[in-house]
Amino acid sequence: MAWSRKSAMFAALAIALYLLGLVLRNSQLVTVAVVLLSFLTWAAFRTTHADVASTGRRMEEPDSDEGIQLHSITAMRKISSARIFEDGEIDVTLRIQNRSNLSKVLEVRDRVPDVMRIKKGANYVLMELGPKRETEISYTIETPLRGFYTIGPVCIRVQDPFGLFHNERELNLYDDFLVFPKMEDIKDAMIKSRVPKIFTGAVNIRNPGEGSNFYNLREYVPGDPMKKVNWNATARAAGKMMVNEYERDAVSDIILIVDSRGISETGPVSRNSLVYSTRAAASLSQYFLSRRDSVGLVTYGDEIVSVDRDTGKKQLFVLLTKLAGAMAKGNTPLKIVTDRIMPHINRGSPVIILSPLEDDPTIVNAVRDLRSRNFDVTILSPSSLEFEFDARRLDRTGYEVLKTERDILLSELRGLGAFVMDWEPDMLLNTALAGARGF
Amino acid sequence: MADDVQNEEGGDTSHLYEGKTVRSSAPSRKKAAGRLKSSTEIPKDAIPEVHVPTVIESFFGGPIVSNTKFLPPDRMVSSLQQLAAVALIMLGFLTFMVTPVSGTAWFSLANTLGMPALGGIIHLILMIGGLIAGLYGITQRDQRAIIASYGMLIIVTLRFAGSKVDFGLDLLPEEEIYQKLLLLLYAVFLVMYIELTSGIIRFSMLDTSIRTGEVYVMQVNKITNKYYRSLMITPAIAGLVALLTLLINLIIPAIVGLFDEVSAHRLRESVELTSVYGVALGTVMVFTIIAAMFAINLPLRIQQMQEKNA
Repeated sequence: MAWSRKSAMFAALAIALYLLGLVLRNSQLVTVAVVLLSFLTWAAFRTTHADVASTGRRMEEPDSDEGIQLHSITAMRKISSARIFEDGEIDVTLRIQNRSNLSKVLEVRDRVPDVMRIKKGANYVLMELGPKRETEISYTIETPLRGFYTIGPVCIRVQDPFGLFHNERELNLYDDFLVFPKMEDIKDAMIKSRVPKIFTGAVNIRNPGEGSNFYNLREYVPGDPMKKVNWNATARAAGKMMVNEYERDAVSDIILIVDSRGISETGPVSRNSLVYSTRAAASLSQYFLSRRDSVGLVTYGDEIVSVDRDTGKKQLFVLLTKLAGAMAKGNTPLKIVTDRIMPHINRGSPVIILSPLEDDPTIVNAVRDLRSRNFDVTILSPSSLEFEFDARRLDRTGYEVLKTERDILLSELRGLGAFVMDWEPDMLLNTALAGARGF
Repeated sequence: MADDVQNEEGGDTSHLYEGKTVRSSAPSRKKAAGRLKSSTEIPKDAIPEVHVPTVIESFFGGPIVSNTKFLPPDRMVSSLQQLAAVALIMLGFLTFMVTPVSGTAWFSLANTLGMPALGGIIHLILMIGGLIAGLYGITQRDQRAIIASYGMLIIVTLRFAGSKVDFGLDLLPEEEIYQKLLLLLYAVFLVMYIELTSGIIRFSMLDTSIRTGEVYVMQVNKITNKYYRSLMITPAIAGLVALLTLLINLIIPAIVGLFDEVSAHRLRESVELTSVYGVALGTVMVFTIIAAMFAINLPLRIQQMQEKNA
């Protein structure tokens, strides 16, 4: 049995009046105190029963005294989907059964994660449930942010009509679900590897071999196969033998590096660098995997988590799961990440870094190392300055100073040969990518 | 300064979640930098906001709502308001009847100052103040005014009574039993008033939560009927228990009289038993019995029995 603050205050008032009454020898005060105490006692008597401690039994025991009122209540939950994208909706159906022979007035609250919003229905219901009856509570939640979430437990409470005492029980009924980052359709990432990968396994490629897309014409060099000779062009080239050159099908390794350090969550909860980075990484993964590239992912925060390169839908699911679970924590420098992954990736592979580029003095060195080993580095940097400025948490002077510092850093990175984009909050990913690649 | 105000407003994320403010972002170092501060303290707007109910909100109980801005009262709340107003007027009248000015601190003070009428005026002001604050609180559903009325109506009874029952009106009965019944009536009305006003706030909160979709209530009528039923039964039971306590100076001699009439007569004549200490003794006895009921887990056994018999 739990006391509410109201009952505690009633009891305190009654005791104070009782003692005052005795000191002042005032029957009026004592009478009020006695009525108050009787009121409380009756409410306690009606609501519940003795404290479990007095019976020497543990609360967890199924036949503990809470069980008499609440043990006969059972619940079952069904959710419409266990995997969903940001801004999706999940329908929850909670079935409550009263197996007792008595009717109960219950307060039922199905606990949903704080960040979720109830769109339809209610997860908090007051009801009278008849003997051997069951009822169904339905509600819809909206999932605005990626992550791993759990619905539950179901809290059931029996309360006296005056709200003085209550008995509560948590039914350990949990349903986990995963919210993947939202994905944007990318038409062309303009990123291709300089070192195409030769597939040896049974991979379903539309045009196997050297590639089928015409790239340009060049003069014949000894060793070129005769089938590559373009006779029409040779005829026009006045004695020079011309051959067709083909663009190799772009099947390559793409490495996505997502900064999930504590700093990456600077800004409002739904508009910050980590949110943008994870969404971008999800969109890029989908795009590259649909292009039959193999995509690897590294997230770094308090630790470095990596997903090895692979292709296919299964890999997309693995990547989305990792991105959903990325937490803003720690402060691992980028240099440590690049030092660790560089030996394991093919030189010349595209590396896409998604980071706010803040609070890390090793960024320039890390990018320099990548560039010196001929990696094609693209940096998409969601600007948390903009997030904070938009949320009016940063004043004009501070914004200008920090913006200048940021511009200098971006210029330095561009000078190293990296494709860098200062990604402003309202910019589409497509536009940001095009901007990064100089289009 | 103006900038500060603007910034505080701008940090609100409610537009993103249809009115629900969600804050869990990382500390904004940039903001601190923007204000040219060298310290690394966490800016105020980066700390998550949690609505902690005030003591007054907690006192009135009810489901947790983010604020106590109520929607217009529904039928249930209106009828509770009417009941509370009636209880308050009855309580005011009973307080006026059973609470004399003699023995109060203001009575002593006024006598010391040589203005005996002042004590009576203060006494009346407290009573009328309690009534006005209560009526205002009931109609406006203002919790602070309601609490103020509780305070005034209780303060007015704080007086040194010297163990004798004194009334503010001379025309009231002299017999002990009637005096005690009148005191009991006063006490029951005071407790009823406290519960009814608390009910107004609780059901207003509930109604607001229902109408804003935070809570869904199935079979509202059954739940409200249960409250009304309890409102009738609980004060009656409480009054009965209190009556047993108050009449202990009659009950004990009656029990003793079954065995020894002389001792019973002595007990009847005992000053201690008829004084406030007799009431205290009665309280101890009655509540010892109640404690024993809880110790043997009687409520649980009653429930088990109900479950079996249902």
